[in-house]
Amino acid sequence: MKKQFLLMGSLLLSTAMAYGAAFQLNLQGVRQLAQGGTGTAVPWDAATIFYNPGGLSALKHVQAYGSVQFLSANTRYVETPTGTYSADSKPKTYTPFNFYIGGPVRYKSKLSLGLGIYTPFGTGIKWDDNWRGRYVIQDIQLQSIFFQPTASYRINDIISVGAGFVIATGNVKIQKAIPLQNMNGQDGMAELKGNASGFGYNVGVHLRATDNLQFGISYRSGVKMKVKRGYASFTVPTSLSGSFPYTAFKSDLNLPQVVSVGVGIKATERLSIQADANFVGWSSYDSLIFDYENNTASLSDTRSPRRYQNTVILRLGGSYAISQKFTAMLGGAYDPSPIRDGYLSPDLPDNDHVMVTGGLTFKPNKKLCIMGVFEYVFTPKRDGSFDEANFGGRYQTKIINPGLGISYDF
Amino acid sequence: MKKVYILGLMGLLMASCKPNIEPEKPSSGEGIDFSSYVAVGNSLTAGYADGSLYKSGQKNSYPAILAEQLKVVGGGQFRLPLLPGEYGYPGAKLMLTVRKGLCDTAAGLSPFPYTGALDSAGSSNNIFNSDGPFNNMGIPGIRCIDYLVPGYGALNPYARRMFVNPAGSRPVDEMVVAKPTFFTLWIGSNDVLGYAMAGGDQAAPAPGGTNQISNVDIFNAAYDTVLSTMKRKGAQGVLINIPDITSSPFFTAIPAKGLLLSKKDVNNLNDLYNPLGGWIRFEEGYNYFVIEDSTAPNKFRHIKDGEYILLSTPQDSLKCKGWGTLKPIPARYVLTAGEVLKIQTATYAFNNIIALMARRENLAVVDVNSYLKTLQKGVLFNGSTFNTSFVSGGAFSLDGLHLTPRGAALVANQIITTINTKYRATIPMIDVNKYNGVLFP
Repeated sequence: MKKQFLLMGSLLLSTAMAYGAAFQLNLQGVRQLAQGGTGTAVPWDAATIFYNPGGLSALKHVQAYGSVQFLSANTRYVETPTGTYSADSKPKTYTPFNFYIGGPVRYKSKLSLGLGIYTPFGTGIKWDDNWRGRYVIQDIQLQSIFFQPTASYRINDIISVGAGFVIATGNVKIQKAIPLQNMNGQDGMAELKGNASGFGYNVGVHLRATDNLQFGISYRSGVKMKVKRGYASFTVPTSLSGSFPYTAFKSDLNLPQVVSVGVGIKATERLSIQADANFVGWSSYDSLIFDYENNTASLSDTRSPRRYQNTVILRLGGSYAISQKFTAMLGGAYDPSPIRDGYLSPDLPDNDHVMVTGGLTFKPNKKLCIMGVFEYVFTPKRDGSFDEANFGGRYQTKIINPGLGISYDF
Repeated sequence: MKKVYILGLMGLLMASCKPNIEPEKPSSGEGIDFSSYVAVGNSLTAGYADGSLYKSGQKNSYPAILAEQLKVVGGGQFRLPLLPGEYGYPGAKLMLTVRKGLCDTAAGLSPFPYTGALDSAGSSNNIFNSDGPFNNMGIPGIRCIDYLVPGYGALNPYARRMFVNPAGSRPVDEMVVAKPTFFTLWIGSNDVLGYAMAGGDQAAPAPGGTNQISNVDIFNAAYDTVLSTMKRKGAQGVLINIPDITSSPFFTAIPAKGLLLSKKDVNNLNDLYNPLGGWIRFEEGYNYFVIEDSTAPNKFRHIKDGEYILLSTPQDSLKCKGWGTLKPIPARYVLTAGEVLKIQTATYAFNNIIALMARRENLAVVDVNSYLKTLQKGVLFNGSTFNTSFVSGGAFSLDGLHLTPRGAALVANQIITTINTKYRATIPMIDVNKYNGVLFP
C-alpha cells in the first residue's frame, strides 16, 4: 500500500527535490520560505508541524494546508585552470510539496493533533551522458517523503510543547558510466535503484513571552535511511558480463539532525520580524557505501568518503500586513556548504547558498488563505575537486523556486 | 501596474537563473610558436598500436592528440602520413576476441589478429607528393643511431612511404622538411627494445644489428645531430626520455611466479625433477616457471623475481606443451637478471645523454621514464584508473608495448605539463577519456 501511495505521489508530483545547501531542502511552508525560511518562533499556520511541533497548539482551528514548489536548478561546470570545456546540467523542474492537517482536538482544547507529509531532503542532477565526469556521475536522484503524526500541548499561556514521530520513505537512483568500452567505443553503464526507509522524530517548544515576543526551539532527529534491498544493473561488453551480474545492494544514508532556534518580534501592529538559526549535523554524512550482495573480481563494494561538516544556517525575514486581505513578506538566508575541499563531487557540486525570498498572502475570507512565494538562490562559483576520482573544475549553481500554497481553517 | 512590475521582475530573475561562468582562456606562454609542430620519433610517435600501424591508430597518436589541443594556443595544421585502412600494415592488428585456443578447455578473451577486410592496398606507396610534408614523422622501428644513415628509407617501409627522398636522404634531413617552429623528440627506445624483444643476448652479435643495444657514443653523436638539426631554424621543442621498457606489459604480463599447479601436477613434476638433486621443485599454488639459461647447471633453472618472460612466448606452448614445467622456456623468450641490467644500464646512459643535451640547449625534458613508474602504481583521471597491467590497465594496447589512444593522451598531458612549466603557458589538459582505451567484444 505504502509503495502504491509513493508511486502515485511521484506520478502526480515528481517528488524529487533539489538543493538546500547539500541535499537539505528548506521549503516546508510558503509563508516561512517567503521570510527567509524562518518559522521556529512563530506558528503562522499548520506548517509549524514541521518548523516547530510545539507551535501547533497555538492554532485556534483545525487547518488543512497544501503547498507545492516549482524548483529549477541550473548548474554549470567549466574546466580549470584554463580550457574550452563547459557543461550544463539538464534543465529539470522539481516539485517538492507539503501537506499538513492539524489543530485543537476540540475548540479551545489544550491538546492539538496533526499530521504532516513533507519532503525535507532530496537532490537531483542530470548531466549529459557523454560529459567529462560521466565515470563519476551521469544522473542522480534522491527523494524522500516524511510522514509525521504530531501532538502538541499548551501547558499554559506561555509554554507549549509538541512532538512528532517521523516515518521516512524515499528512493535513490544513480546512473554512471563505467570505463569499459565495447568494440564501438561505447562505455559501460551502472544503474542503481532502491527504496529507502527510516524513522525519526521532531520535537519543539514554543514560548509566547509577551504578545509581541515569541521564541521557538526545535530538534529534528537524524534519520538513517536504509536501502535494504536495492538493485544494481550493469551494461558492459558481453565478454565481461559475467563479472558484472545483476545484483542486490544495501546502502545507508544518514540524514542529519537539525537544531533550530528562532525569535519573532512584532515590531508594529503591521510588521513582524523573525530570525532563525539552524544547526545542521551534516557530519552524519561520512561516506556513501554500496554493499553488493554478489561480489566478483571486478565488482567490489564501494565506499566513497564524503566527510561533510556541520553547518549553521542563518535566516532573517519579515512580514508586513498591507491590508486585512494582503500580507507581503521578504527574507534572506545564508546556508553554508557542508562539503569540504577535495570532496566536491559533481553529483552534488554544492557551495554556500545565498537566498533571497519574497511572497504574498491573500485572505479572501476568514477561513481561506492563498499564498505565493518566490525564492532565488545564488551560489558563488566554486573551484574544487573530487579527489577520489581526480575530477576537478569550477561550478556554479543558480536556482529559482516559485511556489503556491493554500490553507483552509475549519 | 503592480502586477506587471512583478512579472517583469520575475522575468529578470528567470534570465539570471543561468550560471554565467566561462572557462579561463589558455595562453601559449612565452617564446614559443606552435604554428608548425613536427613530432620526431619511432613507433610510439607514429601511433603504432596493437602490433601494427593502422589509420585510426595514427589519428590517435600522441602527437595528433597534442596537436589538436595546441590549436587553442595557435597550433597549425598537423599532417599525418595516413595509411589507407584499418587492417594494419604490414601485418594485421590485434583485437580482443573471445575464442578457444588449441589448448583451451573453454573459450576465453585474448588478443587475436584482426579478421576484418584487408584494406591495406596501396600502403607501401610513397605519399609525400600527394599528402606531405608531414608533421608526424614517427617511423616505427627507427633507432636513434639510424637517423644518420643515408638511404634509410630504402630499408624501412614506413620511412619509404613518407620521405621526400627515401633512397638517398638521411632520416634527420627528412625531419625538417615541414619547417618546424616546435618539435617533440622521442627517440632512443628502439636502441634497447630490439635487444629486449629478442630475449637479450641471443645469436652471434652482429655489430649494429637491431637486436643489439646501440653503442653509447654513436647514440650520443646521432642524438646531437638530430637535436641540432631540429633547432637550427630557431625552433623550440621538448625532449622525451626513454622509459624503462621492462615496466611495460610486454615484459610483465606473464609473471615470473605465474605457474599455477595442482597437487597432482606438483607430485608428478617433483618425481621427475628430484633425481637432479632438488634444485627444481614445485609446490601447490603459484610457482616460478622453469627457463633456459646457458650459464646454469643442466642449462635450465627456475626464473627469479626481476626476470621477465616475454609476451611473445607462444601461449599454447605454455598451456599445453609443458613450457615452463617439463620444457624450459627458451632463452629467446626470457630476460635474465643480467640482461635486464644491461637494458636498464643502457636506458640510464641514454637518458643521461638526453638530460645533458637538454641542459645544453636549454630545453625541457618530459620524464616519461618516471611517469611510467607512476603509471605502474596507477593513475586516476576523471574517474577512470590506468595502470601498466596488460589489457585491464587501459593505457597499453594489445601488443603490450605501444599505447592505446587513452595512453597516448596521458603522454600528451605529460608533454603539456612540461611545456606549461617551461614556457609559462596555460595549455589545458586533454580529456583523456574522450579517446578509446582497450575495446572489449
